[in-house]
Amino acid sequence: MSVSLAAGQEALVAALTGGAPVPAGFDARLVGVARQALLRKRGGVVARHWPMLAAGHGAEWITVFAEWADGRPTNGSLRDGWDFARARGVRGAGAEEELARREAAWVYDGVHEPRPRRMPALRRTPGMVFVQFGGRIFSRRR
Amino acid sequence: MTSPFYGVGIGWRPEISGFVGELPGLRFTEVIAETVPATGPLPPGLARLRERGVTVIPHGVRLSLGGAAPVEPERVAQFAAAAEALDAPLVSEHIAFVRAGGVEAGHLLPLPRTREAVDAVVANVRRVRAAVSVPIALEPIAAIFDWPDEELTEAQFISEIVERSDAMLLLDVANVYANARNRGTDPVAVLDGLPLERIAYCHVAGGDDVDGIYHDTHTAATPQPVLDLITELTARCRPPALMLERDGHYPPAAELTAELTAIAAAAGYPDPTR
Repeated sequence: MSVSLAAGQEALVAALTGGAPVPAGFDARLVGVARQALLRKRGGVVARHWPMLAAGHGAEWITVFAEWADGRPTNGSLRDGWDFARARGVRGAGAEEELARREAAWVYDGVHEPRPRRMPALRRTPGMVFVQFGGRIFSRRR
Repeated sequence: MTSPFYGVGIGWRPEISGFVGELPGLRFTEVIAETVPATGPLPPGLARLRERGVTVIPHGVRLSLGGAAPVEPERVAQFAAAAEALDAPLVSEHIAFVRAGGVEAGHLLPLPRTREAVDAVVANVRRVRAAVSVPIALEPIAAIFDWPDEELTEAQFISEIVERSDAMLLLDVANVYANARNRGTDPVAVLDGLPLERIAYCHVAGGDDVDGIYHDTHTAATPQPVLDLITELTARCRPPALMLERDGHYPPAAELTAELTAIAAAAGYPDPTR
């Protein structure tokens, strides 16, 4: 039985990104290899958008990210990194500051695309203070 | 289209823009189309290359030409704007899909080699061609798995798509190698089945072996079997350009230089690093 291209593609993407079963007729081992490759690649791209977040996990980053991302389709690497940071926390002063700077600059509700904050905002980490005013970020060591 | 001879190039990426910008013999490069701003100035590194007369091709990765759904008009508009901004003589995209049912796969996924998939790609290429004034080259991808119940061989599938959509071929030599190796077939036989006379340019890259599967990751140096395949290809035709793709991990400049020199030697083309 053949399914339509649209239905076949949808089922395949669901298996690769959302944890759905591998559609009938595919080599489940090879689809699994592709799923893992996709997660590793995604982790690499997120690390480019969130270098300090990734650095906080050192050599474990790709594994830790892949484990979190498995079964969660991507919302783009900016949101992937943000969601990961909020769910798992961040490690190290650099990663805290990277997140605080973004939280000061953007409104992100975890559901919709982040958008620039219109109101002034203040975010603190143990070592830094970030103030966003009129779209500009000012930072000061505490 | 008779295209000029560009020789060996390397894909422009922000991380290696200094290296790419200083290659004395560079006449051709490529930029990921989705990273070219639709309005406003080009990234400075690219603008300098354009001033030097280097040809820059926008290379799409997110149009999803092989999707069952029509390509999204906003993506096509951005793609067309990138071609315009770069004054590109052609554009390129993959024979693949990247999303379905509103979910992004995050990577280029293989199509079933069926007539229905050929029809879907051809329809989408026509939509893109209606918006872009220059020719499009289509690139077959490296697939880790195949679909069940395929009706066409890879060469038949690719030939039919490029002929029916009147597109050119962006032949990724490393993908031919990866697919043949993963399927246990002969890469040279695949080359001989392809419409080599339609080649606009070629991609070359290195990959990684994981669990017995060759992944075309662009993170390693071009391996000898891919260099050998370049020699086989250039014995059959003279593609206007061969372009090295590097992504993710960028080696020191000396390694990139050596790799470009090796590709030029395998093809019998001038060395772009001199």
